[in-house]
Amino acid sequence: MSSEVQQFSGENAAHIAHFADTGVSIWRYNIDTREVWWSTGFYQALGYQKNDIECSYSVFFDYLLYYEDRQKFLKTTLLTSNSVENSAHIRLLTKHKGYQWFQNTTKQYITETGRFIYGILINISEAKTAELKAVENETKFAEIGRIAKMGYWQIDCRTMELELSREIYDIYELNPSLPISVDELLSYFLPQHEPVIKKAIDDALQHCIPYDIELQFKTAKENIIWVKCKGIPVIDEYGRSKYLRGIFQNIDSIKKRGITMQSSINLLDDQNKRLQNFAYIVSHNLRSHAGNLKFMVDLFEETPAEHERAEIFSHIKTISQSLSATMSHLDEIVKMQAEISNGTKLLELADIFTNVISALQADIKMSGAQINTNFSNAPTVNYIPAYLESIFQNLLTNAIKYRHPERTPVINITTYKAGNEVFMAFEDNGMGIDLERYGNQLFGMYKTFHTNPDAKGIGLFMTRNQVEALGGYITVESAVNIGTKFTIKLV
Amino acid sequence: MNSELQFVTAAIVDDDKIFTYGFRKLTGIKGLFDEILDFCNGKEAIDYLTDPQNSTRLPDVLFVDINMPIMDGWEFNDAFGEIKSLLPKPIAVYNISSSIDIEDINRAKKNPLIADYLLKPLNEIYLAEIYHKLQYFGKDIKIG
Repeated sequence: MSSEVQQFSGENAAHIAHFADTGVSIWRYNIDTREVWWSTGFYQALGYQKNDIECSYSVFFDYLLYYEDRQKFLKTTLLTSNSVENSAHIRLLTKHKGYQWFQNTTKQYITETGRFIYGILINISEAKTAELKAVENETKFAEIGRIAKMGYWQIDCRTMELELSREIYDIYELNPSLPISVDELLSYFLPQHEPVIKKAIDDALQHCIPYDIELQFKTAKENIIWVKCKGIPVIDEYGRSKYLRGIFQNIDSIKKRGITMQSSINLLDDQNKRLQNFAYIVSHNLRSHAGNLKFMVDLFEETPAEHERAEIFSHIKTISQSLSATMSHLDEIVKMQAEISNGTKLLELADIFTNVISALQADIKMSGAQINTNFSNAPTVNYIPAYLESIFQNLLTNAIKYRHPERTPVINITTYKAGNEVFMAFEDNGMGIDLERYGNQLFGMYKTFHTNPDAKGIGLFMTRNQVEALGGYITVESAVNIGTKFTIKLV
Repeated sequence: MNSELQFVTAAIVDDDKIFTYGFRKLTGIKGLFDEILDFCNGKEAIDYLTDPQNSTRLPDVLFVDINMPIMDGWEFNDAFGEIKSLLPKPIAVYNISSSIDIEDINRAKKNPLIADYLLKPLNEIYLAEIYHKLQYFGKDIKIG
């Protein structure tokens, strides 16, 4: 026996026994006899009555003690041979509240009557739960930051000391162990955005103005991404900024989706406007034919004279033809929409042009037009065949139809490249058009600007729709009596 | 009574030949208007109105279509506003169109130069009203 053991007398044990009545929960285990004693407080702490459970080592170990905590319990109590105080957090099964956390502090006492282990149990469930919750919250917080790609930061306004959450380093693609200053962090923003964030932070520091801005910056690994920077000043009693804190979030995918969405919206908007214009025009056109038809039928009925009736009937015939023409225009437009689904092909411009020329042979011959082409700078283009044919045909027909009465029509068609884009210039020396007056109507449907009886006002409308449907555009320059030049960005 | 009635000349400004034909025919059958002139577009009408040779043969009322080549109805309205004060007599201008677009209708109705906006096909009762008003009151307007 060591001297340490010797000094513990029965008196100490009596002291402990004294505590037994005060409600402290104590257990005692006789190492030699395996006898177990529990204080009244022990029962109370676990919520049992004395006769609810048998007071024994096996009930404690096998029933009350949570199985995962058994090793821990053994290590800190029975297996320690010295009489140093040992403490462990264990879970015990209470009568009504399930397993609860207890701090179990044990100490060995060796007296004349035998070797004892005393243990004191303190219910620490609340503290333990709070602790676990805190750890859980911290994990959750970090996880939220990771999922949202969002970090937290704080600047001490006096010292300009910077506190950053781990996620900010991740967004910067920087090593989190390296210290970094505010200015260094700001230098990662793109040159056009750096002054914006600098000014926002300055305003927040000097004038307590919060900010919420979306900017682009380049990470340490040279990835350019969109980030959301939000800062809120925390003020002291004098109303000055004490801290500036905020979030820093990688919103690249959201932003890029937003940008794509905006361009889709713009495209839809254009398409919508075109459809509306189309609906308006078709309705107007059908309405005027229908109106005239009713007009003529009414007159027919009110006119008894046979020769006059014949004349009215001839007008009814004309209206019927106009109606058919309008219907065929409608068909063309519907067909044009359907062609889109057929997709594009790599086309030789010269081949398509030759096809169109042979179809228009009669008109070209009659007008004596001289057509010069140069496709050498951009000989091919990825396009819908029917569209390219239609574009050539409409522009050629236009150029011939509106040729200058006093000179031989000369038409120059050239294609060229600018970067990846393919352009076509289509130039004539015809009558020209007053763009100041008609410019905004030129590509509208059923807009005609000359008293030419062939003018139907559908050609350029179709051309523009075809060009725009494939993501291109068409522009026009013209001078009256000099000529007209169309420039088309095909792709 | 009849001798006091004004001789009323109407002019139709429209590129739609069938409509012009029908207008002439209808007014002929119904006995509306004493004389009818027609012009293919706004410019022809303005040229006629401003030619001093025609100063004694000016129409009393104009029916001006909106959709026309060369000079459409809107452009005609503007041009008419400029020459109105130079004309020897007042001329009532009606815009006519098949368009039921509310923007077109408001644009015409808001213009103080324009008496009204009539939808095609024209209502013959309303035409008769216009004619009779001018028959009875034309003289007063001229004197006033």
